[in-house]
Amino acid sequence: MGVILIENLVRDYGGGKGVFDVSFQVKRGEAFGFLGPNGAGKTTTIRHLMGFLKAKSGKCSIDGFDCWKESDKIQAKLGYIPGEISFFDDMSGTEFLKFITKYRKLGADNYQRDLLERFDFNPSGKIKKMSKGMKQKLSIVAAFMHNPDILILDEPTSGLDPLMQSRFVDLVAEEKKRGKTILMSSHIFEEVERTCDQIGIIQKGKMVVVDSTAALRERHIRRYTVTLDNKASAESFARDFDGICNGLEVTVKTKQSLEEIFMDYYGGKKYD
Amino acid sequence: MINMTLYRREIKGSIKLMIIFCAVIAMYVSIIISMYDPEMTKTLVSFIEVMPELMASVGMKPNASSLLGFMVSYLYGFILLVFPMVFCILRGNSLIAKYVEKGSMVSLLAAPIKRRTVAFTQMAVLVSDIFFLIFYTTIVELLSIAGNSELKVVELIMLNIGLLCLHLFIGGICFLFSCICSDVKYSIAFGAGIPTFMYIVQMLANVGGKAEKLKYFTFFTLFTPDNIIEGDGSAIVGMMMLLVGAIVLYILGIAIFDKKDLYI
Repeated sequence: MGVILIENLVRDYGGGKGVFDVSFQVKRGEAFGFLGPNGAGKTTTIRHLMGFLKAKSGKCSIDGFDCWKESDKIQAKLGYIPGEISFFDDMSGTEFLKFITKYRKLGADNYQRDLLERFDFNPSGKIKKMSKGMKQKLSIVAAFMHNPDILILDEPTSGLDPLMQSRFVDLVAEEKKRGKTILMSSHIFEEVERTCDQIGIIQKGKMVVVDSTAALRERHIRRYTVTLDNKASAESFARDFDGICNGLEVTVKTKQSLEEIFMDYYGGKKYD
Repeated sequence: MINMTLYRREIKGSIKLMIIFCAVIAMYVSIIISMYDPEMTKTLVSFIEVMPELMASVGMKPNASSLLGFMVSYLYGFILLVFPMVFCILRGNSLIAKYVEKGSMVSLLAAPIKRRTVAFTQMAVLVSDIFFLIFYTTIVELLSIAGNSELKVVELIMLNIGLLCLHLFIGGICFLFSCICSDVKYSIAFGAGIPTFMYIVQMLANVGGKAEKLKYFTFFTLFTPDNIIEGDGSAIVGMMMLLVGAIVLYILGIAIFDKKDLYI
């Protein structure tokens, strides 16, 4: 059974906005990439998981606890990076991390210092004056420092430069190796491809597809069989295009990049 | 039930506003008390005779011949009602609604802390602030009238307990709307609008005549400084009603915040 479980979740905002009958699960130790265009319902789904919204119908649970009724029990082992980041502006980054450490009643043995080093981040400035990327780093540190078993990351790399994005992807990969369960919403196909085992695509509030990353890739391979004039050119054609030669016929395959696949789903077209 | 880390942060966050209000209250209270002069009150009484409606609307009545009566007329009709009220409005709004609107409530709820613990802690901050403000007012008053032969400590303390009940109730209104509204503009509109409207109704009712019936439509009627210093039983009932009302408002606020959808 999944650690993160969403069954038939519905929240209708009217005008076609909201989430409609969304179901998926993330198993223990698995990374789930949650993809969709802006306004598709990713954040709404995540707000239900965080216990900020009560499910109108359907059910959300994490680790067997109801996301609405027992959110405090879930939060003890959950790390969350919100899609929209807002801290207490009056604090400096250092003060904020100190506040969260005490607020969550964490010991001194947390991972704050490791994370600050990893992201090359000095949090001593006022949060109000921080750039988007710096706030994002602060959010990452706050989400990971208590070594949570479950991670819910809502567009976690937005605002980060490519180097930091890649460090973040490495961090997620390491956490996954350590058996963490991860739900990551993203717009960056590469980081999802690199880190996630399962991918779910949501569009207009409905899950369009939920499948493993490998299967999604496999499904979108196209094969072409070409007949050539003579055997010699057929063989060299097969060599050049990595095809399979069968007499005068050569079968070649092309793979859509994951990005193209998403574009197809985003655009509303379906391949099957 | 209460998170001390959050409580300490919010109390620290109250200090700036508290200093401003303490300074204003100290100034008004000490100046007005120093103005007390049994001779001079005759002049004031003559003012009241000339324009009774206007003076009565801000609680100034011609019974100001004793020190306590003077204080009731000139402090407990306007200054000590309105200034702590403004404090409740500002603080009550920023304890919940502002965090929800700005989204920083996420930092408080994405932690193993129950929503009602967060709300209860914020309520405790507001209640502590109000207690402190009234306690401070009492101290300033006692210092200002120290040495005066008319000093009646027990009555003054009773009066301020009444004032405390009133402001706990006003704080309750502000807190409730801070919990209900996810937008600061609505939280302010109701949290400030209702107490202010009630105060204006009270001002009209004070003028007397036909308008006196309006007193049944404002909670300020439950706070009767004149009756409190006379030890009238009905004054105690009014105080108790304000206190019970305040408790109901706070519980309601916490319960609503615990159950509401947060788009954070």
